[in-house]
Parts: sequence; structure tokens; C-alpha cells
Amino acid sequence: MTRTLSILAAIAALLLCLPIIAVVAAPFYNAAPQWDYVGGAFLWQHLTGTFLLLAGTVTLATVLGVGSAWCIAMFDFPGRRFFSWVFVLPLALPTYISALAYAGLLGPTGTWSVLVDDLFGFRPDIMNLPGLCIVLALVLFPYVYLPARAAFSAGLTDAFDASRTLGASPMRRFVAIALPLARPAIVGGAVLVSMESLNDYGAVKHYGATTLTTGIFRAWGGLYDQGSAMRLASVLLVLVATLLITERLLRRKGLRTADHRPMRRTPIAGSVRATVVVGCSLLFLFSGALPIGALVCDAVSVADPELFSDLGVATMNTLHVGAWAAGITLVIALLLAWSERFTKRNVARSAWLARLGYVGPGAVIAVGVMSLAGGLDARLATMGISGRLLLIGTLPLLVYAFSVRFLAVAAQPINAGLAQQSIALDEAARTLGASPLRTFFSVNLPLLRPALIAAVLLVVLEVMKELPLTLIMRPFDFDTLSTAVHSHTRIEQVREAALPALAIVLCALLPVLALDRLHGRPRQ
Amino acid sequence: MLLPACGPQPQRVEDVPAPQVVNVYSHRHYDVDKKLFADFEQTTGIAVQLIDADDDQLLSRLAAEGANSQADVILTSDAGRLGLCKQAGFLQPVRSPVLDANVPAHLRDVDHNWYGLSMRARVIAYDKNKVDPKEVATYEALTAQRFKGKLLVRSSENTYNQSLVAAMIAHFGREKTLGWCKGIVANMARDPKGGDTDQMLAIGEGLGEVALVNSYYIGKLLTDTTTAKQKARDAMAVSYPVMNGFSGTHVNVSGAGVARHAKNKENAIKLIEFLSSDAAQRVFAEGNMEFPVKPGVAAAPTLQAFGTLVQDSLALAKLGELNVEAMKVMGEAGWK
Repeated sequence: MTRTLSILAAIAALLLCLPIIAVVAAPFYNAAPQWDYVGGAFLWQHLTGTFLLLAGTVTLATVLGVGSAWCIAMFDFPGRRFFSWVFVLPLALPTYISALAYAGLLGPTGTWSVLVDDLFGFRPDIMNLPGLCIVLALVLFPYVYLPARAAFSAGLTDAFDASRTLGASPMRRFVAIALPLARPAIVGGAVLVSMESLNDYGAVKHYGATTLTTGIFRAWGGLYDQGSAMRLASVLLVLVATLLITERLLRRKGLRTADHRPMRRTPIAGSVRATVVVGCSLLFLFSGALPIGALVCDAVSVADPELFSDLGVATMNTLHVGAWAAGITLVIALLLAWSERFTKRNVARSAWLARLGYVGPGAVIAVGVMSLAGGLDARLATMGISGRLLLIGTLPLLVYAFSVRFLAVAAQPINAGLAQQSIALDEAARTLGASPLRTFFSVNLPLLRPALIAAVLLVVLEVMKELPLTLIMRPFDFDTLSTAVHSHTRIEQVREAALPALAIVLCALLPVLALDRLHGRPRQ
Repeated sequence: MLLPACGPQPQRVEDVPAPQVVNVYSHRHYDVDKKLFADFEQTTGIAVQLIDADDDQLLSRLAAEGANSQADVILTSDAGRLGLCKQAGFLQPVRSPVLDANVPAHLRDVDHNWYGLSMRARVIAYDKNKVDPKEVATYEALTAQRFKGKLLVRSSENTYNQSLVAAMIAHFGREKTLGWCKGIVANMARDPKGGDTDQMLAIGEGLGEVALVNSYYIGKLLTDTTTAKQKARDAMAVSYPVMNGFSGTHVNVSGAGVARHAKNKENAIKLIEFLSSDAAQRVFAEGNMEFPVKPGVAAAPTLQAFGTLVQDSLALAKLGELNVEAMKVMGEAGWK
């Protein structure tokens, strides 16, 4: 049984790897006529931009995420419960939508910029690289906030009590105890932030930044050289592989604790309280209230009953493919997590390769998937069943592509959840004679429930926000919410895009709020 | 929840009494297209099934699908991409007296692989309070010392900037065009950012005096009544510039061709013919602020207010051939 399952896991991992392998292998058999040009200064320029964006966004998002998580987990102050969930809201905003909203307010001709110019005689402009880092970090910081809050909320009590009796200052407790214990959670979140920034295209392009992702499209679109584009994509994938390996190494060295008692929060007063409340309010204002408010204003200004029926269909389509992708990634992620924990096979250990899809820009993953499916379709055609069983342009292929792209999203909470469960648990069950499978089902899985729900919700959320892959692989006359947004923003109808954008935010609210409940609730 | 259906939703070849359809891969997302397709469906009974996506990705989908492709019509908004489709063998030649009559020769492929259906011109929007129309009569004028720090322009990633530079290379050669691009970069009021509308809004805010933009977005902006765009509407005028020594303004087309492996070839030709008809051409012009390709159909009054468009007569097929060179020249000039 164990053997069968681990072989199944290997097959699943391989299936999800294939499109990525197709992309990475493309440079070896595809001609890249413009590589002389693309591989030189062009590549360096785009690499530099990528590193700057990554450094800025990840640093800022980590600071915001850890800081806000610390305040929420450690202190009691007015509005704490409110802030505790609204800090998750930005997850409901696709980055390109937030970027557009901010450009409308603080871009060179933004409403607020004009106002500031009239009042103070200078004009703010957020549409540059530092501005982009800020906008992305404000959307992405919850990826750090959620796991950090969970880590701070439980498991620190014993160590804190001990350190308090030894006279350690709060700062020292934070640096010497909380950070090291929460490190795997924080690093995991930061990796998600970096992957999201690496594959971002819409926001990056609109703000005029140059990253590998825009480089891929520049080579593909302007230079008509798909070969060079795929080579750039390989560079990007290598970058991410490095990130993922680093995370694994860090996770292995992470400390584990058997202490699950919830944190006792300290009431705060005076200037400390004022600082925390103001800080939290500002973070909420800029990360959630402002962009969502701007969307609501735009949506109201163009609201038209005719638009709502299209919206309903698009919403159902979105949820339909989202649910399928979530189900499939969940099963595969569990299979992989299980075989990684219970079998020592090398196949299982290299399962993380299947997670690389998360970072390939959606359009690149789509090319990988379509080139495989196209080959298969051609093969089917020679067998005489063409016209009946085509893959490209069908929902199953779209769902498969989503699974390739978002396996990492499902795997992340599951692996992190498993990592927190001490191996001693498994060993106890095994000593009592339980098989690896039984141990997994009756010991690990029940403890993992919050992580499972988180995995499903995160995948649905990602599918809802995904654009380029959906755009290119969908069947005829099939619209999702994100393609509806795109059809307006592409022709610069920013206000008309607000309605479907708001629908994404509203649909995403449910998973986002559920995520909030799942993270950081004290575990039994 | 239903299992996603396997196999294609579109028409199956074997089903003889199947309803008539035509499958369109489009890189246009305009409301008028939906209206035109609905009109076509009404007059012919042929249902239009649509996928719209970004054109380079559409091309990669076509490449992956090969002979199994379900596309009947490929519709894109750049002559360069049409040329590329032809080169890649995604299109097939069609003979249609209707199309030959409706679409002027320089706006279609010599080998009848594709036909232009509507035009956009790359024009200069300028601040009428600060700039004399005579100062913006040519594209070359944008590089004059006069406009140092006053020029607003989109990034080199923008298709229409690429096709303008490609047209210049066709007329003047690489060296001279490189000089022009360097002049553009030297005069930029800021790093390129945002879309066409953003460049015009910036004129309204006094962030620059001249902007290189697409006529389509000018029409859209001038007919938009929101207060946010008031300043730009009030400040702006438009010049249809020419290239030194040539008599026309640079244009690019949206165009269509019949897919190589079209399963509904007759329907595909009917659709393209329909889009070139007087009625459809008027919809492009009035509903979407594009210039009609068919001689005799008038442009939208909003755009005519700034003069009559005289097109550069360069064969648009050239744009596709020179696009790569254009990208490199812009890169070399430091045009972000």
C-alpha cells in the first residue's frame, strides 16, 4: 500500500512537473534567433530590476507582516479584533487592481496628487520602482502576517514565562525567542511574497518597471522570439528553485515546540497604545480601505443593471474552475506531503519540483501546458479520433494548468502544518503498530484540518485572481471575473473594470475571512 | 458540481446538421466587436464563437494547436502581428472580390493572407495654450530642443510605438531612426509609464506639452464626460504629423485573416467581408473612434475636427518585417 501510494505520488508530481520541464527544456531544442541581443545587456537590465523589486517588496512586506502580527498577538488595545481580520483583506485584491487604484490616486495625474500639488506645490508620483514595491508590499504582506500571527499566538508561552523570570526585556524576548521560533512561518510567508512579486506582470508593466517577467513578454511580443522568452523563463525558474531550496534548508534548521498554549496578551496604555492603534489604522487604511474604497466609488459611478447578468455567469465560471483546481491540488499536495514524511525515497524528496509552477508567469505555464497538449492532440489526430477529444480549449486542460500553477499554494500550508507536528507523534503511533497510512489518517490529518481548509481556500483565491493563463487557455465564450476585468483595463477603461474587480474582492472575502479564522486560533 | 466537459464545445465536424458557426481568435476586446458579431449573426444566421486574449499568447496557442486548431478567423490589432501570422503559416490566402474592393492595397497582404479592417493613427496630442500647431507638424519636430523635458510617451513595449519606429526604419534606415529615438529619449518629460490616456491626462496637468498617442484613445478621451478628464479635454489639440519628406501620418490596422486550418472557411470569409462592409465600417468609425479602411466611409466627427487623416502609404506588411529591428533600435536608444 505504502509502495503503491508513493508511486502514485511520484506520478502525480511528474505530471505536474511536465509543463515546467517543457519550458526549461525549450532552450535546448527551440531556436532563439534574438538571443544575442536578449542574453546581453537586456538580460542584465531585467535581472537588476527583478532583484531590486524583490528586495524592496519582500523587506517591506516582511516588516509590515511581522510588525502587525506581533501587535495583534501580543497586545490588547482598542480595535484589536477588528484589525486582526482586516489585515487579511488585501489578499482579496489582485495586485494589478490595487496598482491601478493607487495609480488613480497617487500617480502623476492622480486625484490626490493633483490635490497635494494645489495645496503644497509638489506632486507625489507612485508610479516608479519604489512606489511599486510599496503597492505590492501593501497587497502581499498578509502572506507573512497570517503565519507569523499564528506562530506568535501559540507555542511561545512557556519560553516567555521563563525569559520573564530571567528578566529579559520585551525586545530581547522578541529577538531571542519569538523570531527564531516563528522563523519557518515567516520565511514561508516571505517566499510566497517573493514568488508573487516575481510573476507579477500587470502591476509591474503599468508602473514602467523592468523585471524578468516583462522581459519575457518583451522578447515574445516585440522581438517575436518565443525561444528567447522561454530562456528568460528558465532563468526565472532557476531563481525560484534557489528560493525554494533555501526555504527548505531554513525550515529544516527551524526549532519546533510541543507547547501549544495560547499567548496571554498584555494590555498596553499611554503612548505605546496610541502608537500601536495609529500604526494599525494607517496600515488598514492604505492596504485595504483605500484601494477597495476607490473600487467601490468607480463601480458605483458606472453601475448598469445590464452588466450584472454577465457578472453572474463569470462568477459561476470562476468558482467552478476554482473548486476543481482546489480539489485536485489538495489531493496531490497531501499525497506528496505524506510520501515525503513517511518514505525516504528520493522521488518524494524531489517533489518540490512540482511546486515550481507557482512562479512561472501564467502565460509561460500556459505555453508549457499547451505545447504538451498540442503534441498529444496531434497524436490523437493521427489515431483518427481528432475532433472528439481535443484538449486545448477545454475546461479539464484549464484545470490541469491551474493545478500545475497552484500546487505550491496548496502544499505550503500543508507542509508547514506537518512540519509543526513533532515526529514523536508519528513514532508513538508507529510503536503502537499503526501503519504509515493509518498514522497519517488518524494522527496527522485530523491535526492538519485547518491547514487543509486553508489550502483549498488559497487555491480558489488564486484561481479567482489569475489572469494570463485563464485568458489564453479558456474555451470559446468563457469568461471569468479576472478576464472580465482585463477586457476593460486593456483598453484603459479603468472605471468599467471596477465592477468585476469588486466582484473578485467580494467572492474572495469569504475564503479570506475563513483563512483569518484558521490562522492563529489557539490549537487544542 | 458538474465534471468539466471533455472535448470541444464548438462545432464538431462530423455532426452534419450542426448550426452554422465561425470561431474567432481575437485580440480586440471592444464592445463594438460584440455588437458587430451580433449583427453578423442576425443577418447570416452564423453564430460567432469568440476567444479574446493578448495577441502573442494567441499566436502561441495557434502554434500549439497546429492542424487541430479550431480557429477560423484570426483578428488582431497590429499589422506586425498579422505579418507574423502569415510567416508562421497560421493563415491561408483567400480570393474575395468584395475584400479586394473594400480594402485599399497598402492595407492588406500582397498574397491575400490578411486584410486591414480599421485604422489607428499615431498622432501628436499637444497643449494648445503652449504649443503652436506648426511646431508639431512632423514626427521629427518632437526631437527639437524646444520640447526638452516636455515630451510624454509610452514605453517601447507599446505596439504602436514599435510600429511607428518600424515605419521610420522603412523610410529612413536604421541610423537616422536611431538618432530620432535618441532625440525622443532626450526630450522625455519623465520615464515612460502608464497608457495612452495617461499621457493625455499629463498634458492636462501641465506635466508636459506634447504626447505621442493613438488616435483611438484621443477619440475616447474627448467623448468621455467625466470631470477627472476635464483638464485634459480643455487643454488638448491634435496634430496629424508626417515624416519629413513624406506626405502621410503613420497608421496601423486591426485586421483579419482566415486561419490555415479553418473548419468553417466559407463562414470565415463571410465574416471578414461583413466587417469590411459600409455598415460595419461605420460602426468602427462612430462606435469605436477608429478610422474606416473603406474609402468613402467617414471618420468620426470628433477626429475629423482636427483635420483629415492622410495616411502614410507605406505597405503595412513592412511593419511586421521591421518590428524586431525597431525594438533593438529603441533599446539601443535607451527608450525604456
